[in-house]
Amino acid sequence: MSVTVGKQAPDFTADAFDQGRTRKVRLADYRGRWVMLFFYSADFSTV
Amino acid sequence: MSVDSVDMHRSWQEEELSQMVKGGALFPMLSDPGGRIGALYGVYDLKQGVDQRGRFFIDPEGVIQSIEILPDSLGRNIGEALRQLRALQHHQATGDYMPCGWEPGKPTLSREEERGGIWKKWKARHAY
Repeated sequence: MSVTVGKQAPDFTADAFDQGRTRKVRLADYRGRWVMLFFYSADFSTV
Repeated sequence: MSVDSVDMHRSWQEEELSQMVKGGALFPMLSDPGGRIGALYGVYDLKQGVDQRGRFFIDPEGVIQSIEILPDSLGRNIGEALRQLRALQHHQATGDYMPCGWEPGKPTLSREEERGGIWKKWKARHAY
């Protein structure tokens, strides 16, 4: 699957820390909303 | 999202992020052990073992509408990201096109204007 503008974003599920608790996050659960998905190299970095 | 564990995200939130802004990060901090998801999105740096500084806007239908990938040496511009998001949302709501240099409040182009004779409405000074 190629990741490019105009193509479907690949779905995934990941463990997440979300405001004090741990939960699973699945991209598909955000259907119907705009999503900013961003990656960074490491915690305790400049992001 | 980074290759860090959820426990590391928790430590970072409690020790640093919450000191920078009230409540710390208000969005889910995802864990990507081994860069599996980063690799799926083409931003995993195998040599360094980390995810690169990639940013994707995904629309309500799940379609990627904008991609930005920056090197270690260059931080993001949140204003530019928000400008793009507003433009993308405006396009989906109205069908209008946002020309080079567009900012919220500046003129947009209709589909017809975008197809021909842009010079009638858009000048080089609008680019910046």
